[in-house]
Formats: sequence, structure tokens, C-alpha cells
Amino acid sequence: MAVVNFCSLLLFSAVFRVLLIIYGEWQDTHMEVRYTDVDYLVFSDAASLMASGRSPYERSTYRYSPLLAFFLMPNSVIHPAWGKFLFSASDVLVGLLIHTILKLRGVPENLSTYCTMVWLFNPFTFTIGTRGNCEPIVCAIILWIIICLMNDNIFQAAFWYGLVVHLRIYPIIYALPIVLLLDPRHFESGKKPKLTAWSFRNIKSGQISSSKKFAGESHFWLTLRNIFTWRRIIFGLISAVVFFICTGISFYLYGWDFLHEALLYHLTRTDPRHNFSIYFYHIYLHYEQEFTVMEKLISFLPQILVQLVLVFRFSRDLPFCFFTQTLAFVAFNKVMTAQYFVWFFCLLPLILPWSKIKLKWQGLASTLLWIGAQTHWLMWGYLLEFKGKNVFIQLWVASIVFLAANTYILISIIQNHIYSPVYRRLDHLVSDKTAKHD
Amino acid sequence: MEIQHSQLQFCLILGFALMVSVSEGKESCVEKYISKGYFEKKSNLDDSEFDNYVKHEISSCSCQLPKDNLNYPPRLLTLHRNLMGEGSHRRLSSSIRLESEHSLQSCEGIIIEKLPSGVFADPFELQHLVHRKVFSDAAVFGDSNLELPSFRSNRSVVEIHTEISSGEDINSNQMEIKIELPLHARYPPLGEGFAKVKFGIPDIFLRCSSIQGNLDKCGYMPRKGEGPKSVDDVWEVPCGNKEHQGIVSVVTFTSAIISASLIVFTSISHSTLT
Repeated sequence: MAVVNFCSLLLFSAVFRVLLIIYGEWQDTHMEVRYTDVDYLVFSDAASLMASGRSPYERSTYRYSPLLAFFLMPNSVIHPAWGKFLFSASDVLVGLLIHTILKLRGVPENLSTYCTMVWLFNPFTFTIGTRGNCEPIVCAIILWIIICLMNDNIFQAAFWYGLVVHLRIYPIIYALPIVLLLDPRHFESGKKPKLTAWSFRNIKSGQISSSKKFAGESHFWLTLRNIFTWRRIIFGLISAVVFFICTGISFYLYGWDFLHEALLYHLTRTDPRHNFSIYFYHIYLHYEQEFTVMEKLISFLPQILVQLVLVFRFSRDLPFCFFTQTLAFVAFNKVMTAQYFVWFFCLLPLILPWSKIKLKWQGLASTLLWIGAQTHWLMWGYLLEFKGKNVFIQLWVASIVFLAANTYILISIIQNHIYSPVYRRLDHLVSDKTAKHD
Repeated sequence: MEIQHSQLQFCLILGFALMVSVSEGKESCVEKYISKGYFEKKSNLDDSEFDNYVKHEISSCSCQLPKDNLNYPPRLLTLHRNLMGEGSHRRLSSSIRLESEHSLQSCEGIIIEKLPSGVFADPFELQHLVHRKVFSDAAVFGDSNLELPSFRSNRSVVEIHTEISSGEDINSNQMEIKIELPLHARYPPLGEGFAKVKFGIPDIFLRCSSIQGNLDKCGYMPRKGEGPKSVDDVWEVPCGNKEHQGIVSVVTFTSAIISASLIVFTSISHSTLT
């Protein structure tokens, strides 16, 4: 198998993205349908307002942190495509970070490179950045947090975590698995925790018995007993401080507009307009009346239940836990748009080396199923939005089908995953040494 | 579709307002946007109140029109309306022909669309068109929330400023204003099949700068529109069916619970051991 040079790959990806940005500029000027994402125009307007000393929230539908508008201020000074370059650079950086994580976990060079290509050459992801969507920045920060945690750099992990929750809120779902990962049984004083190598994934040693104990009945009580360790306190404290400082400054500068648009809107969002979520038609049909507490609870229950189970089962295999959590979170969310898929696409390459799913044919079939279910939804969405046909019921059924496809794929991924904790536990290391000594 | 003069319940106003050059530093008799004054006093659009505002506030402007214009105001010949495109994003085209004894070259046309509650215009999209010089200027007043369904939103007014072109026959006294206004449908209230959104007749104004640069002369003359109108502007927007409420709720929550249970079961039964 020929070795693909990773640096050449990154360079090629970067050049490809530059060409796409240039093409996008051309399409915007010459064609009726714009290449640029409509959100990018919102960011740009908000950045322009900020550059002129006004509030970015004067731009309606700007629902992000003021930091994003701040980063895009050069749009009105240097070039309108500045932000696209920034997002695409983050997109390439995500590729680099994926490769770094896989190398840290001992995945062979070739396999790491191929997995990274799943991100770099995913048509969905490279168009996201070049069309001007900000998600690659969030993805890059999340991957950097994983690297910091693997390197036992708790301070930096906490700082970036606080920042990313301020930027995009949804990474709050990662708080619990991170806290659980910082289990004192992984850390020896004054030493970095040992990482479980990829080659270690097929262990059949006596560790199993101790793992079983860990994963079984004592796990919950041990977690409770060890909850207040300095790593956890430091992580919680620093991330909370960073989050509240960023949020506080934003509130000081832009007041309730910021709080409503960038924070409360996302927490309470119930969109009656069509989107991939199974809930959209239910919300539309009941939008004229208030939702009952029972309705709110029932719609929240599947989400919270799945999140908790995934976290308590898989938190030690952090990238896998993040991936399953994110996919489930998006699938059960009350609002689901295509840009949310990037949230788990950036984590997918991190779990592929531990998956028993073969590209031929199960992998290919799953991919086609996911694309097929989405295309089916898009067809009805097109008929409703662009042809004016009354196909609400068909569109809603397509949402249910898409949820079924997501569920099937998530279950397949879980069933075929070789569970591999990020850190090796200290008692495992001791037992290894003893075994070697014997 | 042809409609009779007597059927015109809507106030079609053709007026003149002499535009005062901002560079001269003098206050304009009429604000940059005619509709702005109304929304400074009212939060919601009401057709009759808006007509009253135009009648009393705009025409009470103290400036005077040049004599010629007073005696021979431009006459509205035809108004053609057409909804173009399909689905939730369409364009409302208006073609207005005017006849005037005097040159209207120094004038701009101002079209005020009082939108029904089921549709909205995106002010940022309009600004994009202004940058591309499709319109001289454009603004939206009233409910600026672009995302609410029609039963949670208020009506809005779009004001378009545009150039006036000469008619087909260059020697005639006819002038033409053509605009295509991009509009988007809001989600309508629940019903059966489609909700119908009907547009009214727009208010039309002319704002002209004085050729002599006589800046203290400005004015405004509203009057009822005349001449044949052709309209094809009923927008049918698909709406949710109230009868679906029960089945949709049950199936939605059941499928969410089944999916969640399958994931939970798989996660618990999947060994975290190799």
C-alpha cells in the first residue's frame, strides 16, 4: 500500500480550499444562486457593524458570540472573503489535529493518514468552510481539547473548553465525560498518564477481570468517591471562569441582546419551520398554543437518557464517547440543520481505527443509507419550499426515516467498536509489569 | 386579471415630492423614507391609519410644488402585478406606466408595499440588491423578525426607491417603473391545503429634485390612481393540517422513545471489554 505523504496531503487540501473560495467568489458574482452560505452574510454584516462601533446584534438573526464578529472584522477592511480563509484554515487544522490524536494513540502512519482523509476530502466538510460556515473553528477547538487532555494539560483543556462552550453552547454535553475521564486512577503524581496504544486494542490478558470490575458495580461508587480531585476541580473552575468572563464581557458590551440572541435563543429554540428534526411538524402543529410541561418533558427525556447512558458507558474512550454523544444529540435535537453534521464528522476519523466495520460492504452500505435517508428528506423539503407543494406529512415521515437511519448507524457503530480507554489505569500498568516480571 | 376602477378599494397614491439635496445641508420636507414617520408613531401597520398618515402628514408638508407640476401632475396609465417563481421564495413584479407633460428624468419612483401578514421581505437581501444597483434604495419597516410564523408576527411595509425609465416610444410622454421585489412566505396558521395571501395595491410616489436647484420648493400631492390594472398576485402557501396533530404527536414521541431505547439497550449490552 503506497504511503501518502501527510504534508503533501495537507498542502493539497489547503490549495483545494483556496480554489473553492475563489470559485465561490466567481459564482456569487455571476450566478443567481450564491455559493456563499447565507450565515456568512450574517456574520459579515455583524462584523461590519462591530467595526463601525455598533452592536453586532443589530443584525437580525446574528445568534453567535460577539467574538465571532470580532474575528471577522477584517472582512470589511482586508477582504470580504477573509472569514472564509479563516474557517478553511481551521478546517485544514482539524485535519492536522485528527492526525495528531491518532498518532498519539499509536495508530500507524498510513491508517492515520487515511482516516484524516475522511475529514479532509469529505465533500460536506470542505464546502462548509469555503462557503463561510464557522463550525470548523469549533471542531478545531474540541479536537485541541482532546489533545490537551491526552497530554495531561488540564489548564489549557479547561481554558479552551470554557471558550468553546461560550462560542457554541452544545459542547456543554462533553462536560460530564471529561470530568469522568479525569479519574484519579489514571494519574500517577508527577507523571503524565499512560495512553492506551492502538495496538493494545485486542488485549486478552487478565486486565479484563479488573476492567470488568471497573465497568461494573463499583464504577458508580468509585466515581462518586473520587469526584472531587484537584484535576476535576481545576478543570471545572478554569472552564467556568473562562466561560463567565467571556459571557460577562459580552453582556457588559451588548446587554440583553447578546444574552437573548447568543445564549437563551439556543437553549429555548423550538423552530416550527421544516428541518431534519422529527419534532418540527409537531412544533408547527402546536405552535399556536403553549407546550405543556409534559410535552416538554417527553421530548427532553429521550435526549437526556441517551446522553447519560452513552457518557457512563463510554467516557473513558473519550473520542468515541464524544462521537456517539454528538451523533445522538443531533439526532434527538428539536432543531437539526445540515451544519450540525460537521460536529460529529470531525470526530468520525478518531474512531475508525477501532471499528470492526469494513468499508466493503457494511461501511459503504451504512454511508449510502445515511445519504439516501437525507436525500429522501431533501426531496420532500425541496417540493415544500421551492415548489410550494403541501407535503408536510411526507416531510415529517422522511424525518422519522432519517432518525431511524441515524439510530441504525449509531447502533452499528457501537456494536462494532473495540472499546479502548484513552488512559491506561495505574492498576493495569502494575499488573502488566508484574506479568512481565513473572 | 383585469379589475374595474370602482373595485379599487385600495388607495393608490401618486404624488410628487421635490427632493432636497442633503449636500446643501437643508432639511427635507419629506424624510428619506416616507414610511419611517408612520412607524415612529405606530408599532403595527393598519391600512386605513397608514392612508391617513399619508394623507395628512405627508401632504401637510409646508413646501410648495412648482406651478407646472401642480397643474399637470403625472398620470398613472397602467399597473401590472405578477407573482413570479414557485414555493416559499418568490418575486412580486410591478410594472407601472406613467404619463407626464413634463420630464421626470430628475425623479425617482417610490413604491410602498404594505405586505400582508403571511409574507415578509428580508431587509438584508434588499440591501444586497441596493449594492448591486437594482434599486436606488430600499427599507423594511414593521415586524423585522424573519423567522416567526404568520400568526405570531405583525405586518411590515417595504419601501423601494427606484429609477424611472423612458417608455418604449422615446418621443412620447410615457415613463415606466419596473421592480421585482423578493418576498418570502411565513408559515401560515393551520388549515386545510393552502393559505391564500393576497396583496393590496402599492402606494406610488414620485420624488423629484428641482432642476433649478431651488431647494425650498418641495411638495406632495396624493390622489387616487386611475387607469387599468392587471393583477395576478395571490400566493398560495401550504399549511399544516390540524387533523394531523394527534397522529403526529403520538408517532413522533413513540419513534423518539423507541430509538432512544434501542441506543440505550445497545450501549448497555455492548461490552466495554475487548
